[in-house]
Amino acid sequence: MRKKIAIFVLIGWVLLIIGDRVDELRVYQGAQMAMYTIALASIVLLTGYSGQVSLGNGAMMAVGGYGAALTLNNLGTPIWFAFLMAIVTASLFGALLGAAAARVSGPYLAGTTLALAVGLPAIANQFAFLGGEPGLLFDVGFPPERFGDEFTQYKWFFWIACFIALIAIFVTSNILSSRFGRTWRAIRGNSLAAELCGVHSARMKVLAFTVSSGLAGLAGAVLAMTISLVAPGAYGLALSFALVTGAVLAGISSLPGVVLGAFILVVIPEISVALADRLGDADKLNNYLPGLIVSVLLILSVIFTPNGPGENLRKHRHKKPAH
Amino acid sequence: MQKVIETLLIGLSTGSIYALMSLALVLVWRSTRVVNFAQAGQAMLSTYIGFEIASRSEIFWLGLVFAIAAGALVGAGVDYFFMRVLFKHATSGPAAVVAPVIATLGLLGLIRSIVGLTWGGEFKSIEAPASTDGFSVGDGTIPFSNLDVLIIATVSIILIALAYIFQRTNLGLALRASAYAPEIAQLAGIRTARTRTIGWSIAGAVGGVAGMLVTSNNFLSPYSLDLLLVFGFIAAVIGGLESMVGSVIGALVLGIGLTFILNYVGTSLVFIGGFSVLILVLLIKPDGIMAKGKARRA
Repeated sequence: MRKKIAIFVLIGWVLLIIGDRVDELRVYQGAQMAMYTIALASIVLLTGYSGQVSLGNGAMMAVGGYGAALTLNNLGTPIWFAFLMAIVTASLFGALLGAAAARVSGPYLAGTTLALAVGLPAIANQFAFLGGEPGLLFDVGFPPERFGDEFTQYKWFFWIACFIALIAIFVTSNILSSRFGRTWRAIRGNSLAAELCGVHSARMKVLAFTVSSGLAGLAGAVLAMTISLVAPGAYGLALSFALVTGAVLAGISSLPGVVLGAFILVVIPEISVALADRLGDADKLNNYLPGLIVSVLLILSVIFTPNGPGENLRKHRHKKPAH
Repeated sequence: MQKVIETLLIGLSTGSIYALMSLALVLVWRSTRVVNFAQAGQAMLSTYIGFEIASRSEIFWLGLVFAIAAGALVGAGVDYFFMRVLFKHATSGPAAVVAPVIATLGLLGLIRSIVGLTWGGEFKSIEAPASTDGFSVGDGTIPFSNLDVLIIATVSIILIALAYIFQRTNLGLALRASAYAPEIAQLAGIRTARTRTIGWSIAGAVGGVAGMLVTSNNFLSPYSLDLLLVFGFIAAVIGGLESMVGSVIGALVLGIGLTFILNYVGTSLVFIGGFSVLILVLLIKPDGIMAKGKARRA
């Protein structure tokens, strides 16, 4: 435990140094990467450990984003409390949704979350306090003055995002190596056997979805911070798809892998813009090329390395796969 | 009173389109144990092909025939080139259970981007095959039109044809047998893999019809069928995902219910209404309305 804390502090220190050395755009992408790291951890927890699929984690992120924005705008609380409320709102919502859909085995959770992601704009338009299509502002404010004039807004975002991501990943890794993580893996492996050992599998599955929703909500608030607003457009189906892709690419049950997945998700738009520039007809390509890259990567990885690149390396080394 | 009746009729026409989509989902679920979320993409691709033919030839029905053919081809192709490979590779490890669902998601994204790159994102519309003006009743007109009659008629013909195939032909028997007990069906001499591909292609064709019909009084875009997929899924859940009759009943009930919300409460509540139905069904009767006793575990 003490070793783990030391490692996380070390990573934080390295991140601080990196944040000082690179330019504005990279700092912004760093904040994005921290956001994706949290979001992917929520998918690893849900899919890689408890064996359920959510196709609408983007929608759960939206719930967190709205929760944070409403708290900050209406109550004028400190920022950290807004992020806390993002977790609380999204977990509550996840618990309600999970009580209906995660309780029963089968494709119900996948379908329900997908439905939520598809209907997100309709829901945001329905309730006036969610601000409709343009959404709500989410402004965490300027960096504190004692950091000096050199300290830019994006660097402040980067600091907050990295700090939150480090804590979130630390907590998640502890949850996953605790009794709960083991129980979830047991249910995923064989729910009947787990139930015979006294595990209440339906309840544990709902719990997994609740925790995963809380994490996703936190990621949603971080995303809202980096773009300074919460609007349904930012949390659409494309985001949910990208999250699943990132998690599968990096190994669906590997928590350290989420950093790689987050890196890939940040790089894809960059590659796609460069490609679109070279190929011409920028409008169409800009709209659909990222989606094309994401889905091709998803399909290839789910067919050829469904358990992540790590498994294939292990197989290669041992030749005979151990089961 | 008149408003109630016209709402019922419109709901019937809406629900019958949902019925096709939910049938497509149920057909694939029964044979493959996957809810095919790519169905929206397959239907969209078929509808774009149907749109292309219909707008060139100016004959809606020719477009519909091509959409059916394209849907069947795409459906069979997805199973043959994609699902078979997937089931060969992803057989063990933590991702084995979730790989098929995730794969259909990838496929939906892939088809969407291909359609977007080919046809662009702007809205297209298909010339409706019949008048969309309402019938006149007494001294007013009601929103129920020739097109709605045509939609209900088309869907009825397809449902009767499907019922005939499934109940009266050897192919239908093979389809039912390999969905119910694949191993025993195989022992009885049914080529289950090929039968499954045929099931996928029937589902694809049905999805293609759903796409064409829903587009005939609406717009077509790379995203326009997502909501149809969601409502089809809800209808299938009402029917318990297993039962084809249940999914049709579920779709009609959902269509009528949502049309009542549309006419009496407002447009913006339609989705929330549908979503609440989904949650309620999952809470109260997760095995669906057709469940008899204890359903088999999926």
